[in-house]
Amino acid sequence: MKKILFFLLLALPGFSQNFKLPRYEKLVLPNGLTLMLMEQHEVPVLAVSVGLPAGAVYDGAQYGLANLTAESLKFGTKSFPKALLDEKLDFLGAQLSTYATLETALLTSSFAVKDQETVWPMIKEVLVNPAFDASEFEKRKSRLLVELKQAKQRPSAVLGEYFNHFYYGNQPYGSPADGTPESIGGITLDQVKNFYRTHYQPNGTVVSVVGDFNTAAMKAKLTTLFKDWKKGTAATQPPALKAVPSQSRVLLVNKENATETQIMIGQKGVPMNNPDYVGIEVVNTVLGARFTSWLVDELRVNHGYTYGVRSSFDMKKAGGTFVIRTFTLTKTTIPAIDLALEVIGRLYTKGIDEKLLASAKNYVKGQFPPRFETPAQLASLLTTMFTYGLNDSYINDFQAKVDALNVDSVKRIIQTYFPKDHFQLVLIGKTAEYREAAKKYGEVSEKQIETPGY
Amino acid sequence: MLKRFCMWGLAFWLSVPAFAQLKPEDVQSFTLKNGMKIFVLEDHSIPNANMYLFWNVGSRNEKQGITGLSHFFEHMMFNGAKKYGPKQFDQVMEFNGGQNNAYTSQDMTVYTDFFPATALESIFDLEADRIRDLALDPKMIESERGVVHSEYTTGLENSPEEELDQAMLSVAFSQHPYMWSVIGYESDILNWKREDLVNYFKTYYAPNNAITFIIGDVKLADVKRLAEQYFEPIPVLAPAPPVVHNKEPEQKGERRVMVNRDVPSPYVQIAYHTPEARHPDYYALDLLSAILSRGQSSRLYKALVDTQIASEAYTSFAPSIDPYLFSFTAQASDGKTADTLEAALLAEVDKVVKTGVTEAELEKVKNQKVMDFYRSIQTNNGKANTLGRYERYFGDYRKFFTASEDYRKVTVADIQRVAKTYFKKSNRTVGVLQKETE
Repeated sequence: MKKILFFLLLALPGFSQNFKLPRYEKLVLPNGLTLMLMEQHEVPVLAVSVGLPAGAVYDGAQYGLANLTAESLKFGTKSFPKALLDEKLDFLGAQLSTYATLETALLTSSFAVKDQETVWPMIKEVLVNPAFDASEFEKRKSRLLVELKQAKQRPSAVLGEYFNHFYYGNQPYGSPADGTPESIGGITLDQVKNFYRTHYQPNGTVVSVVGDFNTAAMKAKLTTLFKDWKKGTAATQPPALKAVPSQSRVLLVNKENATETQIMIGQKGVPMNNPDYVGIEVVNTVLGARFTSWLVDELRVNHGYTYGVRSSFDMKKAGGTFVIRTFTLTKTTIPAIDLALEVIGRLYTKGIDEKLLASAKNYVKGQFPPRFETPAQLASLLTTMFTYGLNDSYINDFQAKVDALNVDSVKRIIQTYFPKDHFQLVLIGKTAEYREAAKKYGEVSEKQIETPGY
Repeated sequence: MLKRFCMWGLAFWLSVPAFAQLKPEDVQSFTLKNGMKIFVLEDHSIPNANMYLFWNVGSRNEKQGITGLSHFFEHMMFNGAKKYGPKQFDQVMEFNGGQNNAYTSQDMTVYTDFFPATALESIFDLEADRIRDLALDPKMIESERGVVHSEYTTGLENSPEEELDQAMLSVAFSQHPYMWSVIGYESDILNWKREDLVNYFKTYYAPNNAITFIIGDVKLADVKRLAEQYFEPIPVLAPAPPVVHNKEPEQKGERRVMVNRDVPSPYVQIAYHTPEARHPDYYALDLLSAILSRGQSSRLYKALVDTQIASEAYTSFAPSIDPYLFSFTAQASDGKTADTLEAALLAEVDKVVKTGVTEAELEKVKNQKVMDFYRSIQTNNGKANTLGRYERYFGDYRKFFTASEDYRKVTVADIQRVAKTYFKKSNRTVGVLQKETE
């Protein structure tokens, strides 16, 4: 103990990781399209991230519609039938993908600077003139059905979908972004085209570019490229979040041949623009977001219950969740959950002292710069900042906000944002083995994993 | 700031040794008196650095009874040594703003530390302590056994492919230790003893059995001083680690394996024995793998996925120390049988053997290699891992800088020749994973 204290004291002085957002330019074209341009000259590559307000929150009852629409952009365009598009992109070693998350539809791409005269027109066509080829659409639907059926053979892959649906119910954040076999089967190409017309507009959309370019030249190029993309009628409004559960509940999803249980424990979280997000991140680091976190220490190191456990805040525009995820053998399911709940309680019973806070602060500062090392990471950051209305202080004040935390402010953050009861639990596994015991966590409902949907 | 790469045209890039500005000599190296070789690449783009230690030991060095021990040992390296007891490795590292990880493969065990450059000395101190004086506390062994058992269980529970992979290895290899997967047999995980770990540590964790790459906001002189202070006093353990003498004999006839599992549609895997990374055919096989399955314009995608025989199809080929496998894997679309899938895969194999590939296909995958290189050197992690793997697999990190030339030399005739040489019926193993059908 003496040795480690001595070491810790030595480590404190001179610790500095003040990472600032590199210079970038933001402009809005007459059609409402926002461009964010950041030069980074390490390698002769461009990274592009396009964000559109066209995520799964707009699916309604047609789960998977937003994602299928985003994927359909790549099924060919007016000038590039799918096979030609794939062939040309692959030939250049370029990457281009389109998909939707809950809140945003995204196009991401990376390619060599020398190929930009070829790739930019393809990106533009994909966004502005998709052909919605019927046969490609049917083929994708058919593959998606197999993928979605397969997903239920991988409980870790569907745990989040079960939890979100259990927590948010039929509200927009409860939509499974990839859909379900039942919902995908019913989606028609006309519905996709209609979704595209409603949600894919230049106004509300951001094109972020990071890489080896000259800003003035890139500005001119993209202004010309996107000038004929017609402005839409209205910006899409994000759906509001209504009530969320206030009583403890348990969902047991039975998978008869399971040898382990996939576990998710959660409660109300915070929206993306929460002013205390830095403090929340630091506290969560102590609880469950690094290797020496309390959860890893107890569930993995001290007890050997699991290979992995972590806690996180899933922040969205209008709200969010706090969740713990882990897995363990069927026979250690209940002890592992008990321990996890006890560990969350320690935030209140034990709290975070000076020494532990110093460690967590050093850790989050030390690991901050590598999060924004590549053009793709930076392009994604710019798109996220635009999507959630975050300004430069989100990055530039990070270190100062970490430094400003003290034991008292951390105590306030725990009491304001970290749950201590009314947990929502989702367990996927051989539920007969712990059905009775699970009742102590709250009102139990049950499903078979084969039952359609989540 | 990191030196910038030129914006050359592709043809030019392929015609000269790569990366005229990041030169092989930018990677500096020195060897300690105990035989540990240290490589340093200064890169000041962010105030962080990485230390990657590549140990020349993996599941290839195991035997039955202690399968999976290399991977288990990797876990135990975080569980306490003499100066820093249980949990302190991570506690001290994280207090200093660093984090770490590790991975084990058939051929090597790699420890990775990611930290603010100010923590460099602490990292040396921590690594030296566990390399010299690992404790192997019996209580920690038992707790970690549960962790690795959970890793084993969750891997199988959530991945039908992993179950098929394990069965394939056990059939494709009859004598070489590549026959078990890196995580090992469940019965060995549950039964290996502390003395197995102690012997293993004495045998393989000698400084001359490791190479270290340090990349980032550091100075060579500082690295050298710290390496001499912390790593050099660690003694070399004699004798040298035993050489793996097992050679997989030539396969004489097709082998088949069936695994039953409740999956919505069947999986098929076909694997051929192929040579190690240092064999001259490596580059042609690697490019062939990309021609077959990289991207939606690839052969397997167009022939199997686009035609709705398979929902996915891919090949797998990677560098290895000893001869390993080139494999094809696909999952059937709804309603398609394993036989249909196998026939479709074999038709693609035959096509390459009989008619080869086109110049355009070859040029395409060479272009993809160029972009891969750019992507692999965008981060400190990418540089450390890529250079270290080249040093281990190809015997010299400089092979990374000449790889463009090695790929450029491959011709369409080479591709067809390697396909003919290795894609023979007698050299293949076929595996099917599906619901029980009778």
